Amino acid sequence: MQFFYSGITSGSIYALVAIGFNIIYNTTGIINFAQGEFVMLGGMFIYSMLYMMNIPFVLAFPVALFGAFVLGVIFERVFIRYVKVKSELNLITITIAGSIILRGLAMVIWGRDTLLVESFVPSKAINVYKGTITTDSLVVIGISLVISFLLTFFFKKTKYGKAFRACYEDKIAASVCGINVKAVVMFSFGIAAFLGAIAGVVVSPITYVTYSDGIMTGLKGFSAAVMGGLGSFWGGIFGGILLGVSESFFASVFPSGYKDAMAFLIILFILFFRPQGLFGRKKATRV
Amino acid sequence: MKMLKVKSLFVNYGAVEALKNISLHIKEKEFVALIGSNGAGKTSLLNAIMGIVKPKDGEVIFNDKNITGFPPERKVKEKIALVLEGRRVFANMTVLENIEVGAFTSDNKNFIKRLKFIYDIFPVLKERSWQPAGMLSGGEQQMLAIARALISEPKLLLMDEPSMGLAPLVIKDVYEKLLILKETGLTIFLVEQNAAAALKYADRGYVLENGKIVLQGKSKELLEDNEIKRAYLGKEYKEKWER
Repeated sequence: MQFFYSGITSGSIYALVAIGFNIIYNTTGIINFAQGEFVMLGGMFIYSMLYMMNIPFVLAFPVALFGAFVLGVIFERVFIRYVKVKSELNLITITIAGSIILRGLAMVIWGRDTLLVESFVPSKAINVYKGTITTDSLVVIGISLVISFLLTFFFKKTKYGKAFRACYEDKIAASVCGINVKAVVMFSFGIAAFLGAIAGVVVSPITYVTYSDGIMTGLKGFSAAVMGGLGSFWGGIFGGILLGVSESFFASVFPSGYKDAMAFLIILFILFFRPQGLFGRKKATRV
Repeated sequence: MKMLKVKSLFVNYGAVEALKNISLHIKEKEFVALIGSNGAGKTSLLNAIMGIVKPKDGEVIFNDKNITGFPPERKVKEKIALVLEGRRVFANMTVLENIEVGAFTSDNKNFIKRLKFIYDIFPVLKERSWQPAGMLSGGEQQMLAIARALISEPKLLLMDEPSMGLAPLVIKDVYEKLLILKETGLTIFLVEQNAAAALKYADRGYVLENGKIVLQGKSKELLEDNEIKRAYLGKEYKEKWER
């Protein structure tokens, strides 16, 4: 049971990262491989504000998220918008380049050492059915759930959420409906970075922050997104949890050094047997 | 009063000249059709008017305002709407959501009123408002595409090939809806390969060939024109000689 609880905790993080992938995929059709760096930067921002500037957490948290949002928007403006030939391959390559640049900058600014972040809530282990779960993990799980519900509400019920979905389906048709497609793409990068930073902040007391965290987090989140079906929010959440839990059980049987391989094993199986993902939509079209 | 004026418009795709020196005008409350065969430049013309492609040269004037370089979303604010070729509804969104997206730029307070107006004209959309748009038939999707354009309260409705891929009876249905809309004071400009249908309902017509306007006039006159009969209405010279 204990493996299950720790699996859910890391799974929630993967889920948040996977949602970030899905948002950008849904509006641009590309995979943003810099998503993991935004998670890392979220952790870095909160560390800097808490320990270098001594800003209280209640203020530092929103500022860190807002900073990430702005950074995401800038990322789109600098790396994506002015690309001449916007083929998916070009854009994906550029996001990889962007991720390397962000990682490099983080190394220069924050150094190579792992930075310690203390718990935001009084750290306590709570006994639950056949195991314990820490308050830090509960925060992670709770925030992931809230975010998932908020996002679903945004995309299903609000005017702007519907505009986002329209852009995903048909950019030209969306533009003749009066939607500024470029702005939507820009904001989707902002929101994705925002989500990544949330993940980065809430996980920082558990894993601490290192400049190179982004690669593995990004790849795991990507695996979770593929597992659930690219573009599907609840698929991403489910994929994240499933990945976290299976990783955790895998580590209980095999040496935990091989844990990271689990994600990629799962990806391979998904791609072999169910390329559209577990929850991949079949589009409702009539021929 | 001339609502839309297109003045010597040129559109290039790389080295290919799609439109060469196009000039035309549409008066308020007119129903104008532009006919032409595949590749004549019909879609390019609408896309250039709407701002989806940038013209190389020339001007688009709407109600005495030069709107040449405006992107599509600003054209919508100027009260021009375009129904794209092939309908292009948002297949995974419901019928109602499609219409809501169409109302992106307009006030919320008018929405209910506009929606009722649209449902009165297209009752089938009301029945199907909770279905994904992809499940509608071709004719229903065309109605939805028109509804999505109308909800932004356009003064000028541009349409690209409304008859494409539709059965003759459905084409008739779509055009009759357009006549109803014209009665409500809407100005309509459509481009169409199906010359017989378009000229039957339109007041005036233009003929586009290889990126140039080669003929224009009242629809009735165009329908009587020998060259049009041969090229667009499927009547051979021979048939005419025999008469």
